[in-house]
Amino acid sequence: MNHPIKALNTKTYKFGSKSASSGKLWLTGLLFVMPALVLTLLFDYYPILSGVYHAFYRWDGAQTEKFVGFDNFVEIFQDRVFWISVKNMAIILVSHILLMIPTIVACIVLFRLRSGRSQYLYRLLFCIPMVVPMLVTMLLWQFMYNPQFGFFNQLLDAVGLDEYKQLWLGDPDLALGSLLFMGFPWINTIAALIYLGGLQGVDGSIWDAAKMDGVGPITQALRIELPLIKGQFKLNMVGVISGTITGYGTQLVLTNGGPGNSTLVPGLYMYQRAFGGNTEFGYASAVGLLLFGIALLITVATLKMIKSE
Amino acid sequence: MRKAIAAEAAKHGFLILICLVVFYPLLLMIQMSFKDVGQIIYAFFKVEPPFHFENYARAWKQVYPMIGNSLIISGGTALLSVVVALFAGYAFGRLRFPWKEQLFWVIFAKLFLPGVLNLVPAFVLAWKLGLLNSYWAVILFGASASLPFWIFVMRTFVQQQPQELFECAKIDGAGETQTFVWIAVPLLRPMIALLMINVFIAEWNNYIWPLVTLTSPDKRPITVGLAFLTSSFPGDYGPLMAGYVIATVPLLLLFSLGMRQFVQGLTSGAIKI
Repeated sequence: MNHPIKALNTKTYKFGSKSASSGKLWLTGLLFVMPALVLTLLFDYYPILSGVYHAFYRWDGAQTEKFVGFDNFVEIFQDRVFWISVKNMAIILVSHILLMIPTIVACIVLFRLRSGRSQYLYRLLFCIPMVVPMLVTMLLWQFMYNPQFGFFNQLLDAVGLDEYKQLWLGDPDLALGSLLFMGFPWINTIAALIYLGGLQGVDGSIWDAAKMDGVGPITQALRIELPLIKGQFKLNMVGVISGTITGYGTQLVLTNGGPGNSTLVPGLYMYQRAFGGNTEFGYASAVGLLLFGIALLITVATLKMIKSE
Repeated sequence: MRKAIAAEAAKHGFLILICLVVFYPLLLMIQMSFKDVGQIIYAFFKVEPPFHFENYARAWKQVYPMIGNSLIISGGTALLSVVVALFAGYAFGRLRFPWKEQLFWVIFAKLFLPGVLNLVPAFVLAWKLGLLNSYWAVILFGASASLPFWIFVMRTFVQQQPQELFECAKIDGAGETQTFVWIAVPLLRPMIALLMINVFIAEWNNYIWPLVTLTSPDKRPITVGLAFLTSSFPGDYGPLMAGYVIATVPLLLLFSLGMRQFVQGLTSGAIKI
């Protein structure tokens, strides 16, 4: 772990010898980023490299550590369950990207309010769901889907539509959709704050100019607000993509991938292979390596696509 | 004029509707926390006496050690993360030093890597470092995981500031460290609040990593504990909902403290200094 740091220091010294003040500046910069670099290398990159390495091993973290070449990958590609999890992940990814829209729309509407006081009030209200722990929200929605006393079936009972009562999370055909519906109307507080930050950079005269042109509300959004939050959109999009590919907390808590693998995602599959009884750490690392490739490809492609527009 | 008022009313109507739908599950949680099983089954939508306050007493007995664990873990992670990200974000956004872009990309690229790839080896690393069943396992790994995103955000924010602000300080004879402390940190205050609140909340929400690393029940944070209680007491929803409400209170308090920083906005006040 020491090697990169040592190399950097020598380099600083060499460059810095040109002039004392700029050398000091370089040292300051390096000192400022050093803690971040050390933490990232040790606790983020070392495990990743270890994972890449052990993807080619049969490994349980203790006694067993045996090189098996590409055996893990061959096994994965022949694994029907893995492909089901990939299909589910693809559906979730597309949905999550589309579900970014409500937050953007809500932010634009909020920002167009005339009164600063109301803007402040709604921003505050948007922030409130964030104070509820994610896990509580999940357990709460798990309860709402509960077939006996959950909200949805109780509501159907109350309005006399009890023949439409469902098992929700217990129904293989509805489970994935139910998980995606969770959090309706999908206002993401962090994303909203980031968008509003971008919109705030607007000079007031833009609005007057738009008014004079007499453009409609949608044209105005396309011409003024959306270009303003393009950077913030990219930021959030990258977050959504990597979050969806890496995330499996919802599935772990609500359904554990069931019923019958209908909500299984690759991350959860890996978790189960590593911690669900057998310690198949090598196989899990191989699945992780594949996910790494998929995530990287999609994210880079997305960024390229947005950039070229 | 009348058209403008109608447009304002429509905007308010839209936003109020969204808020109502967003808040409904939370209201449901609160009203259920005062009910017994019979009321939940037969009077689901009604709010009527008797209110079972003892649900909270029962829940508190189970939940308070977990709250303590979560406070230590989340507070520690937010502090470590904010200090490290502030220094790095400022340096990457403003200072000049060799390999700056490369080093930034080393950290930033982590953002694209699925967390799932490192779960298993990180577990083995924590195990080999003797961190299993210690708060440090969650704090160190949690802060490190939060860094790439927040360093990126801090860097972007520093770059977006009018650079004259920093230059002014320099002309007045301030060194880089002084500029950082006296100009950048106050300027970055909204981002500091945003980071601390978000990292604290992220850690408060962290489930999988503490589930795997904190094996003894007395170290369990609130998330792992609540999931455990929910599966151990199926159907006992009154006290469970009371537990969910209790788990929410610390974040609510934190949010009310940081609210002004949050809502004050991200750019206001910078140029007025």
